[in-house]
Amino acid sequence: MTTTRARDPSQPTARAPASRLAREPASIRLAGAELLDSREILPGQWLQAYRAPGLVAGARAGQFVHVRTGDYSGLVLRRPFSFNTIDPVAGTLTIHFRTVGRGTEWFTRLRPGDRVDMLGPLGRPFEVDPRTRHILLIAGGLGMAGVRALADEAIRDGRQVTLLFGGAGARDVYPSSLLPDEVEYVVATDDGSVGHRGFVTDLVADYEAWADQAFACGPLPMLRALAGLAASRRRRLGVASLGRKRGGGRPIPAGSAQARRRAFLQVSMEQNMGCAVGACLGCVVMSTAGTPQRVCREGPVFASDEIAWEGGW
Amino acid sequence: MKARRRVVTSRAAPAKRRPTVRRIKSAILPATRRVLPPAPVAPTQGGNGATQRQVSPPTAGRDGNRPATDQAVDLSVDLGRGLVLANPILVASGTFGYGVEYGDVVDVQRLGAICCKGTTLRPRVGNPTPRVTETPGGMLNSIGLQNPGVDAVIDKYASTWSRWRVPVIVNVAGESIADFTEVARRLDGVPGVAGIELNISCPNVGKGGIQFAIDAEAAGAVTAAVRRATELPLLVKLSPNVADVRPIARAIADAGADALTAINTLSGIAVATGRERPLLGNIYGGLSGPAIKPVALRIVYEVSQVVDIPVIAIGGVTELADVLDYLAVGAVAVQVGTAIFADPTLPARLVEELAAECRRRGLDRHAPLIGTALPKRAGPPSSKGVEYRP
Repeated sequence: MTTTRARDPSQPTARAPASRLAREPASIRLAGAELLDSREILPGQWLQAYRAPGLVAGARAGQFVHVRTGDYSGLVLRRPFSFNTIDPVAGTLTIHFRTVGRGTEWFTRLRPGDRVDMLGPLGRPFEVDPRTRHILLIAGGLGMAGVRALADEAIRDGRQVTLLFGGAGARDVYPSSLLPDEVEYVVATDDGSVGHRGFVTDLVADYEAWADQAFACGPLPMLRALAGLAASRRRRLGVASLGRKRGGGRPIPAGSAQARRRAFLQVSMEQNMGCAVGACLGCVVMSTAGTPQRVCREGPVFASDEIAWEGGW
Repeated sequence: MKARRRVVTSRAAPAKRRPTVRRIKSAILPATRRVLPPAPVAPTQGGNGATQRQVSPPTAGRDGNRPATDQAVDLSVDLGRGLVLANPILVASGTFGYGVEYGDVVDVQRLGAICCKGTTLRPRVGNPTPRVTETPGGMLNSIGLQNPGVDAVIDKYASTWSRWRVPVIVNVAGESIADFTEVARRLDGVPGVAGIELNISCPNVGKGGIQFAIDAEAAGAVTAAVRRATELPLLVKLSPNVADVRPIARAIADAGADALTAINTLSGIAVATGRERPLLGNIYGGLSGPAIKPVALRIVYEVSQVVDIPVIAIGGVTELADVLDYLAVGAVAVQVGTAIFADPTLPARLVEELAAECRRRGLDRHAPLIGTALPKRAGPPSSKGVEYRP
């Protein structure tokens, strides 16, 4: 197992200077993970718990793991999964996925005790401002997997959490029993079989004044609509945004953790992924600055105003 | 024509090499480049004492370090102009970024060489997404040569590379001969840049790239131009998207390339889930992975019989058997690409496995494994290729 190696501090390392890598995420590990539990929580949707202590230590909500399938002959790529929950004390994590192809089907055939090869923690996490009291989470369908861990983190830190969930119908609605009791859970379905009839974005109006920060994961049209709401929020509501002093101070570089903490909306993006460490440039999204940003490295979490929502190529 | 293998390991005298090339570029001074920069890092093998010999420069007589139980295996590969790889396992361009991305997960110092992401004169934002998709036994990619431009690459990474023992070969792409030569000129003499791999065969950019690789005359012209522009060891990457690769390979070799790499990706497309459009943002992508290994084997087999310069094989290497296959059809080294995504530690492990295989066969170097499956004389011309239409 290749993980970190002890280094002689007197020796120069083979890495780039610290200044260059200062923004790079904490060390990535390649570790074996043992499947503890596998459940089909909804039709075609699975929740799996793995034990991977080395990998879970230091992992934060919004990050992800890249997992190798055992079918090496046909499936040459790993599969990325967001941390659905993280338990650093027990050294366990859960992933939540829908069976969409041969790779995800392979995972459903695993039995407790089986081991898989995980690379992680990858990407940059959600950034919560220390002054934030009220957190609004918005999940569309399987986007629940992206924001679920943040609910735990926020409640642990004593924040109030409202989770808005949008799905196609009752059979897609994430079970409330799998959420912490402290979370206010509001559901919208396309067919009205549970909760509000319509899009989850319709629900945002009731909460956007209450919320200090919002975090979203889901289909691109949902995220685009939310980004539009976030951009016009200040004008529509006249609310103050957090901690922005007029004038003074150095400008905060776009994409930095600090800039993201000050954004009202952070989104977790999805793209087809190759290496998941930033080497292959397969999973980019276009930024408003006109430079492609790697979902696996600069993301998957971005401030909503970092992203060029209409493309840009 | 008699195929002549010119595989020079450290045991062969490097003095009598490559008469063809010497004749053509007599004006170019013989190589005086640094061989391998002295290693500033402590050897990191730790528990893997078995590989110590492979990473040491072949000239260094470090007999004292060798475990008495193990027979030493010399895996070094001389690509010419002072570029000597410690072992024949390279990582392919585009799959390993600039060598820093995998961080602690991969010990880059154990690799034979790193071919970095394709670099162009000016920054490129690349193609629209989706850019990658998995296909049976492989993947399609159409990154479109996203890179920050040669100056930014030198600025950001060269100092890191110069502290590494592992040579970094910069993959160079361009739209015109002028682009290629200018990038090569800027890379020339930069500490940390050990060589250039000309990517004249990228199938994913609309303008430029592919036309150089499908025409022998153009391939020779761009190679010759870059050869004049730089003293760096020069590798040229062949495209499989041609009817017959041999005239192109010959033209490149005659124009002064130090080595050939074969092959780049095969052009292909995939269809989106709803079947209302092609999947990739750029429509066309390049197929890589185990699926293309038979094609790559054919091309290495054909090319290694018609050129005297070393051939480095790429295409679907996932295990030692693939490495041995490529060596058997005449490659002196292999590049690992797509398989890194599934298993980042594979290249370093292949080095150990190859050494163990040599030991098992009682060999003290891997050169005898090269070309064992080649015919004794050159075969008839190929008619197996498919014509490529962009």
